[in-house]
Amino acid sequence: MSSDGPIYRTTNYPHPQQQQSSQFYQPTTPSPQSQASNAHGGDYTVPNPQSHNGFFSPQTAFYGSSNQATSSIEFLSNNPFLNVGFNVVEQGMKDMTDKTINMLPNQMKKSLSSIKYYFAVDQTYVIKKLCLILFPFRPRNWSIGYNADEPVPPRVDTNAPDYYIPLMSAITYVLVAGLVLGIQNRFTPEQLGMHATSVLIWNIIEILILCITFYIFNIQSKLRILDLIAYCGYKYVGMITALSSYLITDSLFIYRLTLLYISISLSYFLVKCLRLQILPDIGGSQPYNTNGNTRRIYLLLFVVLLQPLFIWYLTQHLIIP
Amino acid sequence: MGFTLYNLIEAALLCINAVAILSERFLSKLSGNANINYPNVGGYGVDYQNSGGAKQQLLTLIRSVRTVMRIPLIAFNVVTIMFLILFG
Repeated sequence: MSSDGPIYRTTNYPHPQQQQSSQFYQPTTPSPQSQASNAHGGDYTVPNPQSHNGFFSPQTAFYGSSNQATSSIEFLSNNPFLNVGFNVVEQGMKDMTDKTINMLPNQMKKSLSSIKYYFAVDQTYVIKKLCLILFPFRPRNWSIGYNADEPVPPRVDTNAPDYYIPLMSAITYVLVAGLVLGIQNRFTPEQLGMHATSVLIWNIIEILILCITFYIFNIQSKLRILDLIAYCGYKYVGMITALSSYLITDSLFIYRLTLLYISISLSYFLVKCLRLQILPDIGGSQPYNTNGNTRRIYLLLFVVLLQPLFIWYLTQHLIIP
Repeated sequence: MGFTLYNLIEAALLCINAVAILSERFLSKLSGNANINYPNVGGYGVDYQNSGGAKQQLLTLIRSVRTVMRIPLIAFNVVTIMFLILFG
């Protein structure tokens, strides 16, 4: 159980300084463990307040006994009060966030919990997804697992979309762009803000164009808007690799080669991912007329071709021959 | 590349202005509507066989944007004009 682990860990540290630092770190280290053990398949609401309440009471009792054991060191006698203070502050912050979340209207609460689905990732998922974006050509199964008609969180299924990789790679792209500008002696701090704003704006424009196209062609598919945002965010990984290859080798030929390879692999990856969601089921009945199929194929190709265009356009201004 | 958030807002405002300026007669002519006075053919009452077409969807989109944004557009335009006058 996650509540027993840290208590056993502190008994193994004989050194009083280490014991003090491990006691200071207690309130923060168990939180990823308790969140990881709490978030199962369909459980996206945050049950953390109960788990934290149940966790902290045996710990404060343990601090009482350790205080008697190390009473010779005066600095440690302040510990129970400091930890109680930490507890009160953390409880107060949790109450504030709960109150603000409950003040929002119902629609936003639902979308908040659906966004939490996209952030339920772990390290193996991130590594597998990154390798998949950079080399999707091995034969594999691309279907998304479902759990009672709801998609499984990304932690369980590698094919599910997520928001962690697009968000982190967009931020990394801004930083790498700053690095490239700095090497060319063109850097000012305003450039960072400008790049971040332009990333946001181009994302918004792209999502708007895709949503309007979906609406005009009257295509009903399993793809939600939130999924589309995730799939459009995967191109920043490609941009980062193209820019890094230009940084490392400082040769235009390698940059163009990397750009070509990234475009091909990203297009292949997106076609494989989106094919199952936009095109209709092969095995199921066909309520749509056959015209819908051609439109869907064109829409899929449009989505996929837009990505390399954006990659080329957004990295073009950073490269000087 | 010198995009700011204000540029995005300005571009969106100009696009919505362009949609709002389209005249109703031009739109009803585009939708292949036989008689403007009868609202059941084209216009707001769409016969359900034809409503799946891309043109019908586009026209529905344009009509709904115009209906929703007519009043707020006045406010947005006035605010933007004041901004431009005061701050260049």
